[in-house]
Amino acid sequence: MTQAFLSIRGIRKVYGPVTAVENVTMDIGEGEFMTFLGPSGSGKSTTLYILAGFQDPSDGDILLRGKSILATPSHKRSIGMVFQRYTLFPHLSVGENVAFPLRIRRRPQTEIAERVKAALKLVRLEGFEDRKPALLSGGQQQRVALARALVYNPPVLLMDEPLSALDKKLREEIQFEIRRIHQETGVTILYVTHDQEEALRLSDRIAVFSQGEIDQIGTGPELYANPTTRFVAGFIGDSNFIDADVVASSAGKAQLSLPGGVVVDGVPLHGKVAKGRASLLLRPERIELEAGTLVGQLTGTVRDITFLGNNIHVMVEPSGIAPISVRLPFGHSALSGLSPGTKVSMSFNPADSHAFC
Amino acid sequence: MLLDFDKLGVLRGFLVGLTMLVCLFLILPIVFIAALSFGSSQWLIFPPPSWTFKWYEELFADSRWFYSALTSLKIAAIVTVFSVIIGFLAALGLNRGRFLGRDILRALFLTPMILPVVVLAVALYAVFLRLGLAGTTFAFVIAHLLIALPFSIISIGNALEGFDRSIEDAAILCGANPWEARLRVTVPAISHGIFGAAVFSFLASWDEVVLAIFMASPTLQTLPVKIWSTLRQDLTPVIAAASTLLIAFTILLMVLAALFRKGKKS
Repeated sequence: MTQAFLSIRGIRKVYGPVTAVENVTMDIGEGEFMTFLGPSGSGKSTTLYILAGFQDPSDGDILLRGKSILATPSHKRSIGMVFQRYTLFPHLSVGENVAFPLRIRRRPQTEIAERVKAALKLVRLEGFEDRKPALLSGGQQQRVALARALVYNPPVLLMDEPLSALDKKLREEIQFEIRRIHQETGVTILYVTHDQEEALRLSDRIAVFSQGEIDQIGTGPELYANPTTRFVAGFIGDSNFIDADVVASSAGKAQLSLPGGVVVDGVPLHGKVAKGRASLLLRPERIELEAGTLVGQLTGTVRDITFLGNNIHVMVEPSGIAPISVRLPFGHSALSGLSPGTKVSMSFNPADSHAFC
Repeated sequence: MLLDFDKLGVLRGFLVGLTMLVCLFLILPIVFIAALSFGSSQWLIFPPPSWTFKWYEELFADSRWFYSALTSLKIAAIVTVFSVIIGFLAALGLNRGRFLGRDILRALFLTPMILPVVVLAVALYAVFLRLGLAGTTFAFVIAHLLIALPFSIISIGNALEGFDRSIEDAAILCGANPWEARLRVTVPAISHGIFGAAVFSFLASWDEVVLAIFMASPTLQTLPVKIWSTLRQDLTPVIAAASTLLIAFTILLMVLAALFRKGKKS
């Protein structure tokens, strides 16, 4: 196996009786854009702070180009970081903020001037050198922070929810900028967010954090099509969950009994125990609708039909279980004659669904 | 708002009147002293029969006044420097530290503010006497440092409270070691708090008289002590002149501080 550029091995962080991070392990390639995705308190930020050196792990190791960085203090790690809050130095101009890391490194004046100019050009803030941070908008401040974090060519750039303080429109604009900067510089980025859309838009790979552990690591499409835990399935994309009983299982496939006596076979099964209760995941766009009550299929009553532009959202209420949302492309034949109150049957390819024990 | 000034009605006139009375009460003695220092009457008669610079000439002719002013300046300057340095370190510890007894320590640092100064003075005098340090500049500085420190800790502590520590963390990741980050980023960012600490520390020492009387010696007298001891011998308008200069210098310092802050903001 070739040596990974950045290797996080068995990181664990315990605060008194609370375990914040447990056995976080992953390899990150050079130039990769890796996102830590998870709800607050899932350990993603703690892991990032351990990488930055602001916290020491209780156990585990972090290797950069094969060498452990844990013994190196933060200021010698040469890692770049953009914080959630605005962290520009308030008493320095934009130019001096970006020059700061180079001044600390005692680079010659001409080199500093050149690199500051290039860094500000990279974030499209040329000509802002003499402004004070207080006069910039939130988006501009984060772009200056990005320039400051990149000006000394760090091997790794950490970003801790850098866009969470910005409004939605600005956020999308800067996401686009971050992607462009990632492509232009080729810097390895570790990005923390709780926003799945942001993660999908930016990342090469996503590590989904839940309760201090990594549930799954993969590309966006991988996580969407093949979630290995119920948490990942629920966090990435829209999903329906139906309670089911495992009737039989073999080779990772299960036969499930659904409410209303429906039995499906060949559902990919995830989990430690392969029997008992399970949750069946159905993606809204993987469900076919047919008018009428067909034997052997999930049935229900249409509650609501919502037009969402390129697709139509149909809310079906089966008897006794939670409503199921179905998404059909605009103009789909099943939509004709469908209205609230219509009885429908739902079918799906078992291979497209997932069961979690 | 519940207490909106515009909606107070009759109470509003009352409040304005009361405020003006309080201001008059505070300012009149100063005006009075200043007027007397230019009055020709030996017996401090008010209103002065005629005006003169005589008392100022007498003040400047006596070099003891000059030396006591110099002593005041020197002690206040030393106190200011140490008060700001120790105040910054203490505030940093109280703000960032997570240790047992932190709140008790904070209260302890601030006790000189509420403790009767004369009690503090007697206690310090007893201690310095025993240590053989009574009447030295060192003892003087320590005594004034005790009452100046709370001002520094409060002023710098408040500034640190409003300072986002992530900014310091950012400086550290930029390559600055922790103390470099504090000195190059945190200190400039909280400069208003440090400046306030310096001004108040200076003033706390500059016009302090109770501790100063206990810490003074015949050769080590600050301006307030000199005024006090002269006052005990005889009542002369020279004291009014010295007091007026003391007040003028204090006001000048406050105005400079206000101007500095204003310039900082814009």
